[in-house]
Amino acid sequence: MKAFEKILLRNMEQPGYTGSLADYERAGGYQALKKVLGGVSPAEVIETVKQSGLRGRGGAGFPTGVKWGFIPRDHPGPKYLCCNADESEPGTFKDRQLMERDPHQVLEGMAIACYAIGAQTAYIYIRGEFRLGATILRRAIDEARQAGHLGANLYGRGVTVNIYVHAGAGAYICGEETALLESLEGKRGKPRTKPPFPATHGLYQKPTVVNNVETLANVPHIVNRGGAWYAAIGAPPKSPGTRIFCLSGHVQRPGNYELPVNATFRDLIEDLGGGMRSDKPLKAFIPGGASAPFLTPDHLDVQLDFESVARAGSMSGSGGVTVMEEGTSMVWATLRLMEFFYHESCGKCTPCREGSAWIVQILQRILNKQGRQDDLHTLLDICGNIGGRTVCAFGDAEIAPVQSTLKYWRSEYEALIAEAGALTANRKAIPVLSV
Amino acid sequence: MVFDKHRDTIEELLSRYPVKRSALLPLLNLAQREEGYVSQAAMREIAAILDLTLPQVFETATFYTMLSLKPIGTFHIQVCRSLMCALVGADDLLAWLKTHLEPGADGTTADRQFTVSAVECLGSCATGPVMQINDGYYERLTQAKVGRIVSDLKQTGDCSLKSGPFMMPERTDAAGAGAP
Amino acid sequence: MATSQQLVTVTIDGVRTQVPDGTLVIEAARQMGVMVPHFCYHPKLEPDANCRMCLVEIEKFPKLQTSCSTRVADGMVVRSSSAQVEAARQSVLELILGNHPLDCPVCDQGGRCDLQDFSHEYTPTAGRFKELKRVLPKQYLGPVIETQMNRCVSCMRCVRYCDEVMDAQALAAVGRGTLTQITHWADHELECDMCGGCIQICPVGAITSRLSMYDFRPWMLKRTDTICAYCGDGCQITVQQKDNQLIEVNSTLGAGRNNGDLCVRGYFGYHASTQAGRVRRPLMRQADGSLAESTWEDALEHVARQFLALRSTYGADAIGGCITARCTNEDMYLFQKFMRLVVGTNQIDSSARYGYINGVRALRRVQGTHRWTVRYEDIVQADGIMLVGTQLHAANPVTAIQVKQAVKRGGANLITLEALLPARSTVSNITTLARHHLTVQRGRFDAAILGLLKAVCDGNLIHEEIAGQAPQFVDAIRTRVAGVAWQVIQEQSGLSQTDCEAAVRTYAQAERAVLLVGQDVLRSLGGEGMVTNLLDLQMLTGHLRRPGSGLGCLAEENNEQGAVEMGVVAEYLPGPADLHDEGARAALAQTWGGGVPTGASATLVDMVSRAKTGSIKALFIVGENPVASLPPDAGVIEALESLEFVVCQELFLTDTARRAHVVLPACSVMEKDGTFTNTEGHVQRVRQSVDAWGESRPDWEMFSALSVLMDHPMEYADAKDILREIRGVVPGYTLLGPASMPPRVDEDTVARYVTRGFQDDLSRRYTLQPTSLPPSGSLSLRLVQSLYHSGKYSTRAKGLLEIQGEGRLQINTAGARRLGIEENDTVRLVNERGQAIVSVTLSDRVPDDVVWFPEHFDQAVRVLFASQVDTQTGVPVWKTTNVRLETVRECRSERQP
Ligand SMILES: Cc1cc2nc3c(=O)[nH]c(=O)nc-3n(C[C@H](O)[C@H](O)[C@H](O)COP(=O)(O)O)c2cc1C
Ligand code: SF4
Ligand code: FES
Repeated sequence: MKAFEKILLRNMEQPGYTGSLADYERAGGYQALKKVLGGVSPAEVIETVKQSGLRGRGGAGFPTGVKWGFIPRDHPGPKYLCCNADESEPGTFKDRQLMERDPHQVLEGMAIACYAIGAQTAYIYIRGEFRLGATILRRAIDEARQAGHLGANLYGRGVTVNIYVHAGAGAYICGEETALLESLEGKRGKPRTKPPFPATHGLYQKPTVVNNVETLANVPHIVNRGGAWYAAIGAPPKSPGTRIFCLSGHVQRPGNYELPVNATFRDLIEDLGGGMRSDKPLKAFIPGGASAPFLTPDHLDVQLDFESVARAGSMSGSGGVTVMEEGTSMVWATLRLMEFFYHESCGKCTPCREGSAWIVQILQRILNKQGRQDDLHTLLDICGNIGGRTVCAFGDAEIAPVQSTLKYWRSEYEALIAEAGALTANRKAIPVLSV
Repeated sequence: MVFDKHRDTIEELLSRYPVKRSALLPLLNLAQREEGYVSQAAMREIAAILDLTLPQVFETATFYTMLSLKPIGTFHIQVCRSLMCALVGADDLLAWLKTHLEPGADGTTADRQFTVSAVECLGSCATGPVMQINDGYYERLTQAKVGRIVSDLKQTGDCSLKSGPFMMPERTDAAGAGAP
Repeated sequence: MATSQQLVTVTIDGVRTQVPDGTLVIEAARQMGVMVPHFCYHPKLEPDANCRMCLVEIEKFPKLQTSCSTRVADGMVVRSSSAQVEAARQSVLELILGNHPLDCPVCDQGGRCDLQDFSHEYTPTAGRFKELKRVLPKQYLGPVIETQMNRCVSCMRCVRYCDEVMDAQALAAVGRGTLTQITHWADHELECDMCGGCIQICPVGAITSRLSMYDFRPWMLKRTDTICAYCGDGCQITVQQKDNQLIEVNSTLGAGRNNGDLCVRGYFGYHASTQAGRVRRPLMRQADGSLAESTWEDALEHVARQFLALRSTYGADAIGGCITARCTNEDMYLFQKFMRLVVGTNQIDSSARYGYINGVRALRRVQGTHRWTVRYEDIVQADGIMLVGTQLHAANPVTAIQVKQAVKRGGANLITLEALLPARSTVSNITTLARHHLTVQRGRFDAAILGLLKAVCDGNLIHEEIAGQAPQFVDAIRTRVAGVAWQVIQEQSGLSQTDCEAAVRTYAQAERAVLLVGQDVLRSLGGEGMVTNLLDLQMLTGHLRRPGSGLGCLAEENNEQGAVEMGVVAEYLPGPADLHDEGARAALAQTWGGGVPTGASATLVDMVSRAKTGSIKALFIVGENPVASLPPDAGVIEALESLEFVVCQELFLTDTARRAHVVLPACSVMEKDGTFTNTEGHVQRVRQSVDAWGESRPDWEMFSALSVLMDHPMEYADAKDILREIRGVVPGYTLLGPASMPPRVDEDTVARYVTRGFQDDLSRRYTLQPTSLPPSGSLSLRLVQSLYHSGKYSTRAKGLLEIQGEGRLQINTAGARRLGIEENDTVRLVNERGQAIVSVTLSDRVPDDVVWFPEHFDQAVRVLFASQVDTQTGVPVWKTTNVRLETVRECRSERQP
C-alpha cells in the first residue's frame, strides 16, 4: 500500500497536539476562514467545494457542494446549518474522535459552511452520550468566540456566525437528517416525509443544510489547498478524498484509520488493522456501519470508495468496518443488529415498526432452535416489504443484515431450523418483547 | 422548584433558539442532571417555561431512552450490547454485573447505588467492550476492570479508569492521554 | 402547499382527468371515484404518510409513492391497483394485523372499521404471524373515553386532530416503536375539550366512547341527520338510536356547518331529554293544590276556557306569553301567531331578551341586516379576526374551530379582548392563539371598546372612504373619544394605550376582517350601545362594507336568531319587522286573515312587573324557566303566585312549571321536526330521531289545538306546512342549509346612520360610567359559561354530568395561594344578600380580580346576585356581584385533584 498524506487526523497525530485553539492555530488553523472572509464570495466557496467532489460522510454520500447549492440564495429571513454529530450507527466512532481531539477543525469547517450558505446560526446536534465531546466543543466555541473566529462581525467583515451545541438524549433515528431537525425543534425524533427537503423547508421550515462532522472537517483543507487538490486524491472523479474508516471487531488493532478511498479493505484490515486478532481466519465483515450488507473474504480487495463497495453489493455508508472471525454465528450477529434496529425504530411507518419486531421474533426463535421451515421465506418477504416502503432510509438499512447473511450464510439458518425440527421436546414460549 | 437555581442557564438556553420549544431536550436533560431522573414536577415547570402542554413535554420525554421518568441509582451503568461490543465480550460484563450487583427487576440495586442497563452502540466500538457510567466512558473492559471500577465507585464515588478524549489507535506520547 | 386554481392533467388507472395543481393524488383519485385505502390520511389534517397503506405506482418514480402526501403534477400517470401495489397493501395489513388482538366481536367499531374493511378486501384469510402479540392494558382516558391500544394502528390521527384542529394538544404518543401508545400524560386523567374528535377520527376501535360501550352493533343503529340543540353554532349531528334508545351521536365530514367537527355538548350531551323526570302526560292543578296527570282533552279545554274567560273579563292584555329560543322556528312562529291572532296581545317575549336582542337592535340600526354579513368560510379566509367578550372556545366551540383554522392554517392575525388570561392548558383557550390578547378587567368591555375607538382616531387609522363620505360622523366620534382619557380607560378596563393601538393597528390593516361579539358584551348593561360602537369601529376601519369582512353577534342558545326572525320578542313582528311597521302589519293581516293587535308589547321583565301590579292575569310560558334563570330579587315567584292562571309547556317539572296551573308535556328536539336558524343565519332542518316521550307533543301542535278550541283555528298538516307560511312572511327561509351568499349591509341604512342616526345616543355611548370597584376585602364573582354545558338543559345529560357534574368556584391559582386557598378547599361566599358554600378549583385563566362560577349550576349561588334592567332594551342583567370569601377549612372535601 503506497504512502499517502492524512488530512483530518494529521494534527491530532502530532505528538503533544491537544486540540486547543493555540495548537490549532499553530497548525495553520482558521486560515481558511480568514481567506474566504477576506474576499472569496459565498458562490465561489460553494464552487470550490463542488469542484473538490467532496461527498457526505454521514452515510448517504451526497455531493456536499451540490447540497449547499440547493439553498435558495435570495431567501429572506434566517437559514441554518446543522452539524450532524449524532454518530449512532453501530460500528462508527470517527466523529467522536474528530470532535474530542481537534474540535476547531470542525468549527472552522462549520463557519465556512455558514458563510457559504448565508447562515448566521449553526447547531451541532451531538448524541447525548457524548458528554465529554460536548464539553470539549463548548469550550472550543468559547475559545474561538473570544479569539474572534466566531460571533458577530467576524474579522470586521460584517459576517456573523454563532454555533451552539445541542445534545440529544438517546435515539439513533435522530441521526436521520429530518428526524434531527424535529428533535432540534423539541419534538419526537420522527423523520419527515420528503419532499419538501431541508434545503428549502428545514429547521423551523427555513432553508437548512445538514452535514456530517467529518464532511465539515474537510472543508477548511479544501478551501486552503483548492478543490482541484482534493479532487485528485482517492478515487476521482466520483469518490475523491480520504475517509476515516472505523475498524472494529476481531482485528489486532481496531481504531480510526484515515486513508484515500482507492485503498482496499485488505489494506485497511490487514496492513493497518494488523489482521485478525487470533489465528481464526476472517469470516465476514460489514463495510459501512450496521446499515450495510455483510461482505465476505472474497471482497477483501474491493476498493473503499462508494461505487466499488456498491458494486460489491453493499455500501460504504458511515465508514464503520466491523470484522468477524470464523466461528461467529451469522444468525446471532444478525439478531444482535436486528434487535438494535427494533429498539431504534421511531415507530412512524407500519412496515418498519411492525416488521422489525416480527423479524426479531423470528430470528430469536431460529436461534433458540424453534425455527420453522417457512421462516426464511417469511423473513425475506418481510424485508422485501420494508425496503423502499418507508419514510426514511432506516427501513432499507434494517433489512441489510438479514438479506445479506441469508445470501451468504443461508446454510447456518437452515442448520438451526433443521435442529429445531429434530427437537420434539415441548418448547417454552419467547417472552413478549418490550423496550 | 427544580429549576430555581438555573434561571440564568435557562435564560441563556432560550436565547439560542428562535422557537422556545427547541429548549425542551436541553431542559429535560438538565432536569435529569438535577434530580437524577425527570420528575413530573420538573415536567410541569418545563411546560410552563416553554408554554407547552404537559402531553407535549411528556411525549417528547418518552421518545428518548436516556431520559428516565423514574428514579434510578446514583451510578447508572450502561453497558453497550450492540454487535461490535458483543463480538469482544460485552455479554460477559453484563453477566458479571448481574451476578455481583444483583440489580432488581428495575435494574437498580437494593441500596439504590447502581442501576445496570444494556444499551445500544455507544460509539466506541474500537475500544469495546464499553460501558458508560453517568458522564464517563470506560473502555476496553474486562471483568477484572469492571470489578475495580465498581469498588472504586463504591469507595470514592469516582474511578481513575475513566477515559479521556477518544483516540484509537492511541498516540504514545504523554499528552496523548490528556484532555485539551 | 395549497392547491392553486391552475388545472393539470393526471391519469389515474387509465382515466385522464383534470384537477387543480397541488391536489394530493389520493384526493384526485377520490374525485374520480377511486378510493385508495388509507389509515393515517384525513382531509382535515396535514399529510403524515406514516401508515404506508396508500402506496400507489406513479410512472417515472422508481419506488411506490404515498398518494396521501404526493401532489399531482401535469402529465402524472398513477396506478392504484397494480400487482406491486396490491402486494404492498397486503403486507401493511398483515403487519398491522400481526399485533392486532382481532377482538372485533367486542369492539364497538366492528362493522364500521377501516381495518376490518380493508382486511376483508385485500388480505388472504390466513395470516403468517405466529409470534407473540404485543399486549397493552386498556385505559380509561377520563370518564367518557376508553382506549384499547392493542387495536391502535399508530396513524396518529387522534393526536394530530387534537393539535391541528382543536389546538388542545391534549393527546400524546408516548414511547417508541411498536410500544407507542396514545395517552394524556403520565398516569393523569384526560383533561381536554372532550370534543370526541379523537373517537370520531380513529379509523379503528382504539379510542371509543364509554357512554355507549358494548350497547350496540353499528348495523343495528337507525340514523337521523338533525341539528344540535345546544349552542348557536347549529352543528349537524347524526343521531343513532336502537329500539328508540339514543345510542350515540356523531357527525360527518363535509356535512353541516361543522363539517364533521363537534364539541363535547354535541358529542356527549345527547341524553339530556331522556332523563327520568320528563313530564309524560298533561298535568292539572287540583283542589288540594297538587299537580295531577290528566288527559289532553281536559287539559287543553281547560286552558282554552281559562284564556277565553280571562280575555272577556280583563281584555286580551291580561295575558302574556314567553317562549324559549331553544324551540324550532315553527314552534315560535306559531306561538306568536297564537298570542297575537288568537289571544290578541303583543305581550310576547323570549330568551333572546337575555342579551341577543342587544346585538340585533344595533345591527338593524347601523347596517340594516341583523344577520351576519360573513360566513364560517369568511372566518377561515380572514386575515384579521377580533373577538370581543366571546369566551369562544367555551360558548361557541365550533365557531372557535373556524378561528383556529384561520390562525393555524391561514396565518390570520387574531386579536382577543376577553375577560380571561391567555393560559395554555390541554383545554383549548382561544386567546393563546392571539397575536394581541387584551385581558379586559371587571367585564368593563364598554371602556375596552372605547379604547379601541380612541386608538383608531389617535392612530389615524380611519379609512379614507368613510372620512370622505361622512366627515361629520368621523369628527363627532373624534371629539367624543378625545373627551375620554386613556387613564380612565386603563383604570376601568385595564387596557393601556399601547395595548389598544397595537391591536387596532393590526386589525385595521387586515384585508378581510371579521369581528365576533359574545355574551360578555351582549348580556351586559349597555350591550346595544357597545355593539353599536363596535359597528362604528368597523365603519371607521372600512371593514363594515367590504365583502368577506363583517361583524357577527354570537347566539348562545341554538335558535336565538330564529326567535328574533319569528317575531317572538317584544319589539318585532316576524321578519323581523318593527312592531309598528304598517307595511309588515298589513302583510301579516293578509296572510293571517286577521289583524295584528294594537296593544302595547311587553318584555319578559315588563310581564313580571305587570303580573305583580295585576294588569297581567295569566302567563303562557313555553320552555322558559324564569324562576331559575333570574335571581330571586327579580320577583318572578311573587309574580307567578299573584297570577290567576299559569300554563307551562315543558319537558320537565322545572321550578317554574311546578308553580303552573296546567303543564303540557312537550317533545324534545330529538322528538320533533322543524328548523333552527344558526348564529350565522343558516336555516337548517331538524328531524325527529326518536319517538315522542310519553304523550308529549311538539309545541306547535298544542298552539294549533288551542286555537281550534278558542274558535280561531290555525291548522297545519305538519311543521313543513308552517314553514311554508313562514317563507311568505320572513325573508331568507326559502332555501334550507348553508345560504349561498351572506346578506350585504343595506347602504341606505348605513347612509342614514352616518348622517343623522348615530347622533341620538352618541353621548351615552361615548361616556363611561365610573368604575364600581368591589369594596375592599371583597371580590367580584362572575357567572360564566362552561364548555361542558349549555344553559341548564345540558345539566340533565349524563355524559356531560360525568365530565362536569357540579359547579365549583374557579380562582386564579396565584391569587388563591395568596388567600391560602388550595384545590378542593371549601369556601363560603358572603354578601349582603346571603351566603353560599362551594368548593374551589384553581385556574390560571381566571384573572386575579374575579372569581368564576359556572352559570349552569348557579342554584348554589343565585341568592348572592341582584338583577339590573337595561333601561334601553329591557335586558335583565345579573351575572356579576361582589362577595367576600371565607375559607371553611375543617370541611375540606376529600376529593383529590
Ligand atoms: C437511520 C439513519 C441514521 C443516520 N445517522 C446518521 C448519523 O448518526 N450521523 C450522520 O452524520 N448522518 C447520519 N445519517 C445520514 C443523514 O441522514 C444525512 O444524510 C447526513 O447527515 C448528511 O450529511 P452529509 O451529507 O455530510 O453526509 C443517518 C441516516 C439515516 C437514514
Ligand atoms: S422507516 Fe422506521 S425509522 Fe424511518 S421513519 Fe419509518 S418507522 Fe421511523
Ligand atoms: S394514508 Fe398515506 S401513508 Fe397513511
